[in-house]
Amino acid sequence: WDLLGLEIDMNRKKDKGFETPLFLNVLTCYVMFIPHTTHQVVCINNINFQRKSVIGFVELTIFPTVVNLNRIKLNSKQCRIYRVRVNDLEAPFIYNDPTLEVCHHESKQRNLNYFSSAYTAAVSAVDPDAGHGELVIKVPSELWKQGDEMNVLKVYIEFSLDQPKGGLHFVVPDVEGSMAERGAHVFSFGYQNSTRFWFPCVDSYSELCTWKLEFTVDASMVAVSCGDLVETVYTHDMRKKTFHYVLPIPTAASNISLSVGPFEILVEPYMHEVTHFCLPQLLPLLKHSMSYLHEIFEFYEEILTCRYPYSCFKTVFVDEAYVQVSSYASMSIFSTNLLHSAMIIDQTPLTRQCLAQALAQQFFGCFISRMSWADEWVLKGISGYIYGLYLKKTFGVNQYRHWIKEELDKMVEYELKMGGVLLHPTFGGGKDKDNPTPHLHFSIKHPHTLSWKYYKMFQCKAHLVMRLIENRISMEFMLQVFNKLLSLASTASSQKYQSHMWSQMLVSTHSFLKSISNVSGKDIGPLIKQWVDQSAVVKFFGSFAFNRKRNVLELEIRQDYTSSGTQKYVGPIKVTVQELDGSFNHTLQIEENSLKHDIPCHSKSRRNKKKKIPLMNGEEVDMDLSAMDADSPLLWIRIDPDMSILRKVEFEQADFMWQYQLRYERDVVAQEESILALEKFPTPASRLALTDILEQDQCFYKVRQGACFCLAKIANSMMSTWTGPPAMKSLFTRMFCCKSCPNIVKTNTFISFQSYFLQKTMPVAMAQLRDIQNLCPKDVLNFILDLIKYNDNRKNKFSDNYYRAELIDALTNSLTPAISISNEVRTVDNLNGDVRLILEEITRSLNMEKLLPSYRNTITVSCLRAIRMLQKNGHIPSDPSLFKSYAEYGHFVDVRVAALEAVVDYTRGMHRTSPSEVSRTHPIPYVVHKILSMLGKNPPFTKAAESPLCNEALVDQLWKLMNSGTSHDWRLRCDAVNLYYTLFGLTRPSCLPLPELGLVLNLKEKKAVLNPTIKPEQGPDTTEMTVSSVSMSSGVAPPPQGLKRKLDSVVGPLGSSSPEPGQVLQEEDTSKKFKIRVRISSEDEIDMESPHDSQAFIHHHLNILERPSTPGQHPVKHPALIILLSDNLEPPAVDQAVLSLPVTPLPSSFGKESTSSSKHSGDHHHHHHHHEHKKKKKKKHKHKHKHKHESKDKERDSHAFSNSPASGRSARSPSMSD
Amino acid sequence: MRAVRYDMTRQDVMERSGCGKATSSPAENYQLARRRTLQVVVSSLLTECGFESAEKATVESLTEMIQSYISEVGRCAKAYCEHTARITPTLSDTVVTLNEMGFNVDTLPGYAKRSQRMVITAPPVTNAPVIPKALIAGQKRTHPSHIPSHFPEFPDPHTYIKTPTFREPVSDYQVVREKAASQRRDVERALTRFMAKTGETQSLFKDDVTAFPLIAERPSSIPYLSALLPSELELQTLEETDSSEQDDQTDSENTPVNNLNDDPGADKENSVLLAGSVVPLVKVSEESMIDNPYLRPVKKPKVRRKK
Repeated sequence: WDLLGLEIDMNRKKDKGFETPLFLNVLTCYVMFIPHTTHQVVCINNINFQRKSVIGFVELTIFPTVVNLNRIKLNSKQCRIYRVRVNDLEAPFIYNDPTLEVCHHESKQRNLNYFSSAYTAAVSAVDPDAGHGELVIKVPSELWKQGDEMNVLKVYIEFSLDQPKGGLHFVVPDVEGSMAERGAHVFSFGYQNSTRFWFPCVDSYSELCTWKLEFTVDASMVAVSCGDLVETVYTHDMRKKTFHYVLPIPTAASNISLSVGPFEILVEPYMHEVTHFCLPQLLPLLKHSMSYLHEIFEFYEEILTCRYPYSCFKTVFVDEAYVQVSSYASMSIFSTNLLHSAMIIDQTPLTRQCLAQALAQQFFGCFISRMSWADEWVLKGISGYIYGLYLKKTFGVNQYRHWIKEELDKMVEYELKMGGVLLHPTFGGGKDKDNPTPHLHFSIKHPHTLSWKYYKMFQCKAHLVMRLIENRISMEFMLQVFNKLLSLASTASSQKYQSHMWSQMLVSTHSFLKSISNVSGKDIGPLIKQWVDQSAVVKFFGSFAFNRKRNVLELEIRQDYTSSGTQKYVGPIKVTVQELDGSFNHTLQIEENSLKHDIPCHSKSRRNKKKKIPLMNGEEVDMDLSAMDADSPLLWIRIDPDMSILRKVEFEQADFMWQYQLRYERDVVAQEESILALEKFPTPASRLALTDILEQDQCFYKVRQGACFCLAKIANSMMSTWTGPPAMKSLFTRMFCCKSCPNIVKTNTFISFQSYFLQKTMPVAMAQLRDIQNLCPKDVLNFILDLIKYNDNRKNKFSDNYYRAELIDALTNSLTPAISISNEVRTVDNLNGDVRLILEEITRSLNMEKLLPSYRNTITVSCLRAIRMLQKNGHIPSDPSLFKSYAEYGHFVDVRVAALEAVVDYTRGMHRTSPSEVSRTHPIPYVVHKILSMLGKNPPFTKAAESPLCNEALVDQLWKLMNSGTSHDWRLRCDAVNLYYTLFGLTRPSCLPLPELGLVLNLKEKKAVLNPTIKPEQGPDTTEMTVSSVSMSSGVAPPPQGLKRKLDSVVGPLGSSSPEPGQVLQEEDTSKKFKIRVRISSEDEIDMESPHDSQAFIHHHLNILERPSTPGQHPVKHPALIILLSDNLEPPAVDQAVLSLPVTPLPSSFGKESTSSSKHSGDHHHHHHHHEHKKKKKKKHKHKHKHKHESKDKERDSHAFSNSPASGRSARSPSMSD
Repeated sequence: MRAVRYDMTRQDVMERSGCGKATSSPAENYQLARRRTLQVVVSSLLTECGFESAEKATVESLTEMIQSYISEVGRCAKAYCEHTARITPTLSDTVVTLNEMGFNVDTLPGYAKRSQRMVITAPPVTNAPVIPKALIAGQKRTHPSHIPSHFPEFPDPHTYIKTPTFREPVSDYQVVREKAASQRRDVERALTRFMAKTGETQSLFKDDVTAFPLIAERPSSIPYLSALLPSELELQTLEETDSSEQDDQTDSENTPVNNLNDDPGADKENSVLLAGSVVPLVKVSEESMIDNPYLRPVKKPKVRRKK
């Protein structure tokens, strides 16, 4: 290594340093120097909505902490960098992003282990926390001396973004009018630190600096960004405005955001420093939705005894949002779909919860940032915890406990299934080998390698652990700790950088724990060790016996700590025993070997006098004790009732005990647990207990909702002995129907929300009832149909859209498989009578939605699900075309997701009927994410099962998707990895041919491998999937079948004028020619490139670090490729998708391609720099020659890309000279 | 086809008119006879004036004029007579009428005795038309004792007595709900069927595309608008149920937008939601006191001023 490094160093000198800006020299950059940015200016002076491009510059003020600072590393992805100047001197720079393409030319390597380690290494190579970056700037030697004097350096970088796929999202509706009239807007987005996607910076949460942000936008638009808006100034032509923002509080680049659009502005009436922004026409909704925000503010400020840290707060509601809520310094970006009017019930609490989450993250996450990725859990934990406190205050203790239980269950389920979630990973010496989570198919070393689902569970666990800490040290101390963190940070924030105080604004696990022990004086070490430093949860099995003689309860608590995702728990556990004389808490010690615990009982077994029984909360109630065991004073027992261990408890007690627990225990968690347990006891007594709960107004509505479903299950188990009308029918009639005519439901008022939720749920649960033939009883079906028929909302001030949607869901639930006569085609005539009625309702509802759309199109969503269910059960012909049309761009996102879900489901159900797979592009990252995760959740096949879909083409396609197709979005890449894992597992997919030893490839063999990917496109009747493969190196996506025609128009002329290699394969179609030509070129590369692949493997890390790539050549230019099964018929969606394909990169890379190929064939591929560099080591003498070509190419390339002179050090762009 | 049909209708008409001539009612005969006499009068007057021939249309017009003149004289005379509480017009009524219409009555005797007048045969005697008997429904009331018997009779009772012609409306709750529900369903079904018939559809079945037609989905450029904004129907309901409650709340939050945002659509939307609630002037001044950077006016570029 040293030798190599030295050699390259010498080379560099020969080449007169950084004459070739693309020359990559990673080996010499081993010296760790992390200069500190103290101030950064971001100026975006042109945002073009038509072209979806951005031009601007940044200026970083860097405080060198080492003498002789000669290189500066910054993060930048996607950006095209025109020039870099350091203190007004032109500086050479290198741009290399190894995450663009994770594995190089590993046409044979298809195992996920390999990919994961390569990906982790790639991310590490540019990890700003370790001082790395994609952009390496060489400080001009003139300034080296200055470094000695520790003077600040000003690094000025001009950059542009063209059709960004990540970081910034443009929404440009295709309607008439100016951009403002069209409601076009753009906003920044990303998963974790993703700011590098839209401007060069040190993209780390721990690198704080102050900010000056300037955005010049159209006069009709508003630019909302972090910090205080100092002034807004017109440009000279008065057509544009410049928004000047200043953020004096030191903030990480990752917490900087921007949104620009023709927003409507609403100043919060109670707090004038808070401003809300929404898209045109939505102002009334914004007013209503935000009318509550000030209370959340007050709540947090009160509990934290700390003012909101920023001087202003902005909320922006955008379309096609990446996530529902994302928080940045002093602003939050929300999905516009959170807005609602006063008529909407269901969305109201959800929106408020999102606001509360956003605000909690303002304190912890934005204002207080983290020291390193390993400390992320503290921030997520605290913000989640205080959000929980808000929930408790606003929605009540029941809701809070229900939420905690829900989160705990979710997390426990995930950990047991996938293996543990580790909050605070420590990496021994930074070596990959000490992987703390070997059970996972991804590395948790970086946020960007995490699976989305894992990250969600991570957040979940973080706040649950915070709650455990609270249990331990009391809430008072907890809040004091938070206050301390905040006040330290706010003191620090007002200091100058030179005071070295800024690090107080960063929280680390260590500092957090230290301040806990300072404030509370308690040692929470064991707790942290158990839940934070260690992954996995505890799994308890409990059972008991009552010893009458000794009047002792013999409790046995066993643990399963051997299966995946479990750990051993040693320590205290609380057990609550409800006896006849009252409720008693016992704290038991779980120790290594003791399973049995004796708990003395307080009451004698049989009471003689009838007296009230005291409950835990002091209440005294009358109980009918006839059901219980005469010998035992025990009513019910609960293990760890406060959920103070992250655990799953399976406890055995008699059915009557569960029933008592359900009826009389006042804790909603206990009630929900007993409901779950009662499913196993289908007896009349259970039925009665559940019915009583259903009728009880005082009971928490979610418990009652749960009881509905449990009752339905019990009723089904008791089918033969069930007496009376179908379960819940008479109850529903009594509660919600007219007194005079019990078959007609009252007109809707929805005044009592509890009743409303119950009224919604009951029919859905009732529809799950089945009779002896396993059909939904006729009574029930008619009942639901009547509910729909008599539904009358005219006098209601609330919308009934959710209610109607749930009635459709009820119809869906009532469906049972059709009696199928083998392989009969489903026709209208042989439609079953009941199904006909159901279909009638669904058709009418769906059609009415077109005329009077419901809020968030809830009814359409339910109808689509119903239709899929009808198809699935064989009542109507299974056909995905309807769903495909609803999945198109241009429908409301909920509708699209529902439709896509149906399509995904279709692929699973119908894979025997030879569907072909079509790659589609979706412009909305959220939708793509949804598709991938739905495919992962409901995979067409898994690694265990054989499937005709599981073939090499699919493997290639997915591989390419995660290797290079999703480099613009961390979340998508991880989704793709997840899907790959679900489909094929960790090792090489079984459908692939055995890899040749040594992986020596020649052209012939290469062809043989590639052939299957080409084949399916030639005939529409093949059962193979059409693969849209990403030609990684060239940055051109060969169009899949359906896209060809469309692309033709764009690419056609270029394609046909392109040089010959394609014709070797004698394809008539120009577009095919084009495609194959690209392939050939990549073959060539591989052929030349990898004669010794084993060697390549050895130099793996080298490769990763050494992969230069000009900004212009990003495969980022591809939108994500999505795999969706469909028929050979092309859905119109594809056309749509094609149109949304950024077409500009194609011709330009073509131009490049053709220029290069016009040279001699050896140079044919020379824009693939990584090849170069690999080769470089072997054939050094070629260097100069190549690099010259490269730089020429680059120039040409950039000319093709934008109108500005673009080569590394040429003149300024016209827009800047303006 | 159409032509034939047309012919048929024409024939029809002709037949009908023919029938009318053949079996015209006595009233019609009477009128025709008088009309003919009038025509003769007109013709003779024309001859008197020295015309040798006249177009039929002219004669017809003059006839019409003379007829309306005479009718007007009759109507007025009758009115005068009734004005003086009589039922038969007298000579004086007629004289007053003629005077009133601008005719000098004194010239009449002279004119009647003019030399060149022609004698016209009296109109043929036809039976005066029988006034058809009005439908008598119920017993006519006799005059009460204080009204002399020569006064006109009471009209038919149905002309002044309320006669209910509808059934008692059903007020049974169940039936009303039933009706409302099925009515709504019918309207919805008819409407959706109509929309499906007239527009593009999607079908769930391949064999019968008309069964269960689904109105084809139409992607919209801005899908969130229709999905989030309440429909007009819902807005109406909202206004009906509690318009007063809302006003108080939203009033104070209303104005800041208008300062910066000149999107007319937004304002319209506002006024729709807050119809009827007038923003008081006081509020405006309060709003202007809000110091929010986004509400501040945009500055002019400085450099230009220097120039």
